[in-house]
Amino acid sequence: MNQQQLIEDYVAGRLGEAEAEAFEVACLEDPELARQVEFEQRLKAGLGQVARGSTAEFVRSGSPLSWRLAAAASVVLFLCVGVYLWQRMPGAHAQVLAALTSDVQRDGPSMRLALVRGTESVPQLPAGKVRVEIVGLFDPGFHYSVMLDRLRQQHEVKNIATLYGQHPSSPVTLEVMLDGDQLAPGTYSLRVRKQASDDEALDFTFEK
Amino acid sequence: MDFIPGGELSRRIREGDVSAESELIRQFEPGLRVLLRRRTGGDHGLLQDLVQETLLVVIQRLRGVGIDDPQKLAAFAAQTARNLAIASLRKAERQKTDVDSEATERKPDSSRGVESQAGDLEAALAVRALLRELPQARDRLMLKRFYLEDHDKEHICQEMQLTEAAFNQALSRARRRFRQILEERGFAKRDLLNLGL
Repeated sequence: MNQQQLIEDYVAGRLGEAEAEAFEVACLEDPELARQVEFEQRLKAGLGQVARGSTAEFVRSGSPLSWRLAAAASVVLFLCVGVYLWQRMPGAHAQVLAALTSDVQRDGPSMRLALVRGTESVPQLPAGKVRVEIVGLFDPGFHYSVMLDRLRQQHEVKNIATLYGQHPSSPVTLEVMLDGDQLAPGTYSLRVRKQASDDEALDFTFEK
Repeated sequence: MDFIPGGELSRRIREGDVSAESELIRQFEPGLRVLLRRRTGGDHGLLQDLVQETLLVVIQRLRGVGIDDPQKLAAFAAQTARNLAIASLRKAERQKTDVDSEATERKPDSSRGVESQAGDLEAALAVRALLRELPQARDRLMLKRFYLEDHDKEHICQEMQLTEAAFNQALSRARRRFRQILEERGFAKRDLLNLGL
């Protein structure tokens, strides 16, 4: 019988009396053997004490698969919370500026932006989803980008959203949707540029 | 640490060599703890008392009349410890059967209980730390089967579809880590200091 087996049998109480007593004398003569036995005794006693409290610590799942699932669930939760918070941030919402996708949208409130000389009044953006009719000369064979900026003092410009690949609805009209509820009061600009060309951009200012 | 034969220790102690008494304590104390732990049912305070008492009895005997066969000093110390443990058990039994009506109404001395549980508590904390570290639920269940339910290795290996080598490896790893945790918590040093010798 090897020494480890002897230790296990002594601690488990499987040795006969004479064998156990001889083993105890051997422990007195070999302090390192005695220490090994004592750690074994304490491990058994400690396990017993923990088990008396609850056996849950022995059976809890600790497999790598469970950890991976937990990690994946955490990432999904993090992304959901992130998207939710991002959607609630004014000015960061993708839908603040959108393409016109159906004729129904033409029935709601609208705002007309046009470059008219001599006009001093600045258009006001109504609340809610607003169809913005931009009047100018457009080439139906091209795509246009529409950039929504907020204008601040000292010519500071903050980009809110940009829409690419917009087709004019006629040679003189380009329509987009703006969500007035998502814009804070202030002065804004819509800059319309013909994509893949050097043509000068058209700037339209409005207020909310 | 070099092992000093019982005959030499006995002779030196009889001649008044104090360093030999220290050697005897260092040499026998771990083994006495093993022997007495088995007989004190997890009462850490009683274990400490009996280890100390055994060492004192042995040293006084060697200083005085000596023992019949100095070569069997370890066997003499072991038998002294067993006798003291039996005496302590008998004393406890007597205290249980001598009904003292006033004593039965007194509250139990909790300070003794705290001391006696301290050793187990420390082992339990180390076991908890060990269980937390074991990544495989299988390893934790294996410890439970082996130490608490006393299943034999063959049976556990069959149940858990393990080879004996894998079982021994996992067990050995757990033992090493348990020992490391206890040593990091100062188990070995503190227990030697507790002897106060």
